[in-house]
Amino acid sequence: MADDGSASNRRDPIKSSVGNVAGQRRRQQAVTVAKERRESLVRAKRLCRVGTNGGDDEDARVENEMMIDEEQPVLEAQTVKAVEELKSAVQSQGKGAMQKRVTALRELRRLLSKSEFPPIDAALTAGAIPLLVQCLSFGSPDEQLLESAWCLTNIAAGKPEETKALLPALPLLIAHLGEKNSAPVAEQCAWAIGNVAGEGEELRNVLLSQGALPPLARMIFPDKGSTVRTAAWALSNLIKGPESKAAAQLVRVDGIVDAILRHLKKTDEEIATEIAWIVVYLSALSDIATSMLLKGGILQLLVERLATSDSLQLLIPVLRSLGNFVSVDPKAMLTILIGGQNTEENAINVLGKCLRSEHRVLKKEAAWVLSNIAAGSIEHKRVIHSSEAMPLLLRLLSTSPFDIKKEVAYVLGNLCVESAEGDARPRIIQEHLVSIVSGGCLRGFIDLVRSPDIEAARLGLQFIELVLRGMPNGEGPKLVEGEDGIDAMERFQFHENEELRVMANSLVDKYFGEDYGINE
Amino acid sequence: MAVDTVGELGFPYWNPLRRRFPPDSPFFASGNVERELLAKQVALDFTEDEITNLQTIVETESRRISCPIVGCPERLKSLDNFEDHYKTRHTASCSVCSRVYPTSRLLSIHISEAHDSFFQAKVARGYDMYECLVEGCGLKFKSYKARHRHLIDKHKFPTTFEFFKRTQLSKKRREKLQRQRVPKLKHEEDKEEASSDAMEVEDKASLDGLVSALSTLTTSDTTPSNVSFGRRHGRGLTFVPRSVHREKPTNSSSTPGSKT
Repeated sequence: MADDGSASNRRDPIKSSVGNVAGQRRRQQAVTVAKERRESLVRAKRLCRVGTNGGDDEDARVENEMMIDEEQPVLEAQTVKAVEELKSAVQSQGKGAMQKRVTALRELRRLLSKSEFPPIDAALTAGAIPLLVQCLSFGSPDEQLLESAWCLTNIAAGKPEETKALLPALPLLIAHLGEKNSAPVAEQCAWAIGNVAGEGEELRNVLLSQGALPPLARMIFPDKGSTVRTAAWALSNLIKGPESKAAAQLVRVDGIVDAILRHLKKTDEEIATEIAWIVVYLSALSDIATSMLLKGGILQLLVERLATSDSLQLLIPVLRSLGNFVSVDPKAMLTILIGGQNTEENAINVLGKCLRSEHRVLKKEAAWVLSNIAAGSIEHKRVIHSSEAMPLLLRLLSTSPFDIKKEVAYVLGNLCVESAEGDARPRIIQEHLVSIVSGGCLRGFIDLVRSPDIEAARLGLQFIELVLRGMPNGEGPKLVEGEDGIDAMERFQFHENEELRVMANSLVDKYFGEDYGINE
Repeated sequence: MAVDTVGELGFPYWNPLRRRFPPDSPFFASGNVERELLAKQVALDFTEDEITNLQTIVETESRRISCPIVGCPERLKSLDNFEDHYKTRHTASCSVCSRVYPTSRLLSIHISEAHDSFFQAKVARGYDMYECLVEGCGLKFKSYKARHRHLIDKHKFPTTFEFFKRTQLSKKRREKLQRQRVPKLKHEEDKEEASSDAMEVEDKASLDGLVSALSTLTTSDTTPSNVSFGRRHGRGLTFVPRSVHREKPTNSSSTPGSKT
């Protein structure tokens, strides 16, 4: 949900007035975020510090007051008190009861929104959930619904057992996604549901059984708005699997594929980011969705986004979606590759852009995509081989961190070999092999042979085999020797992994046997 | 990974194969981490525009619009908010009892179950009339208890599920409704009052309290509220007793907070 600073976001966390106060607050937030970064596991849950209503002046005033993070015990005591206030407010009737409820809810919500470690446990023990559920009853005023859903959102953002505590509230939260509700209320409920879905598969299944998916899906039909973004995020959490049934259910929602394509094409980057994650899961888990999206021209849209965006948040899911589609259907890729007249949008070029990025994730996953394209037809390999990506790949093989190096190795190797029919030995594409070797990749592969990673070592040995077999004029062995390849292979003589041992030994025996060097 | 034509003798030659990973594969772990870390990185730097916007928001707070619908006390901040509010409050409400629902579908279910005597007639004849509340399920049941059970068993609703709470009718309205009711057996009235009080206290978390707002209520003018608990037969009932009274024998007499 982070924006890239360019859009004014009504969900910015800092609502207090400007100047010094904002600066101090910003610094505090930076500390908070840094701590969360260090301490949290990868949580797919998001704390709501500013509600979907954009806040109002009362909130702004209140935020001004809380400049110092309270001691945790004080916070917890205040929370217990707030829950008790809420209990009495819920029971009261008559004039002023509604206002009393909203005030009590608001106090609880403040306490649950401000600290680095919201006093969720204290709230639960004091019995907050049943009260919050009652406050969600139909016909309640918007403010009450909003504040209650906000409290539930932040409770759900905590530890697993805290998220689970929301179970009694789920049917109401789901109902309040309904089209008759005001947008901020529906959005806040979607946020709470998103946190619950982010917790794990079991809760996702409960949500699905209770019918959360259709109303949530419908919330992404409008063209814009923070509601669309929140709903898309929540939806992505709901369908992430690893079971595929949610993805399958989503694709059956009338008009959803069109909405997805429409957003990818036109919408601002924040919404497009969440939509792209939906595409990631659909392309990984649903064949029907994959073919519908491909037919709808999604590859072109993905390539365009890769070309035009600089937002890491958006690029990651877009790239990964592309990778998923390519891994399933490289034929679809071919039309993009060949057909693209505009070089900027050329798919290989955008992948090259990702390879040039400073971000590890982009480099690694772009290489993975390229490796799958390179595993395709000769046409595919030729397009890559003659593109600007080649020098990048060769450089990356020598210089990049290990995980990227491995992916690049896959690309280069795949470029040199053609898949075989049946059991026949795969055919070497000598032209590619020669140019890649002369580009200086052999050292990189031999380094892989030396690495402790079994898969990498295997790759390295396989590539060495290609060089030994496929280089013209029998140059292979000399080249390998020149890069200390024999030494690297001999280290496997007594290696514990049998397959690698056999591979290395067979190469050494065949190419560096007794006759080697005799004709020098 | 490039698994291929090995055989006992052969070398496993490099075979170009596509590699596909499931979404939760460790291969994608670092990208997933980035996603959540970036999300937590709330915008820490404001542009000049954003600062101005904040000031504007604070200043315009006092200018609100009152909802023009008679009897509605809401005051809205802007035209957008007003449209939202109108959609919520004034388009999905039951014209008979004023209850408000978040979807048209729930509203229409409520109307059928609470105010439609034809519905009740079919129920009495044993038709499956009570729809499952979960969209897309499509199943129907002969009684609302059966539907409850289905919600819990098949759709994993919590047993303490209390979906519909009665909105608080004003004292005036309640008195008016009282007067409109056909005089009933006193004990039935007592039971109803007890139950309505109980529900309004909102302490009950009982299975029977469920969905009661959909099916209950005695506000209909057109349906005689003659209900027989077997005490007085032969009162010329041409309409079937409302299912609520027949099916919740213990509900209206339970005390607040008695069940979980």
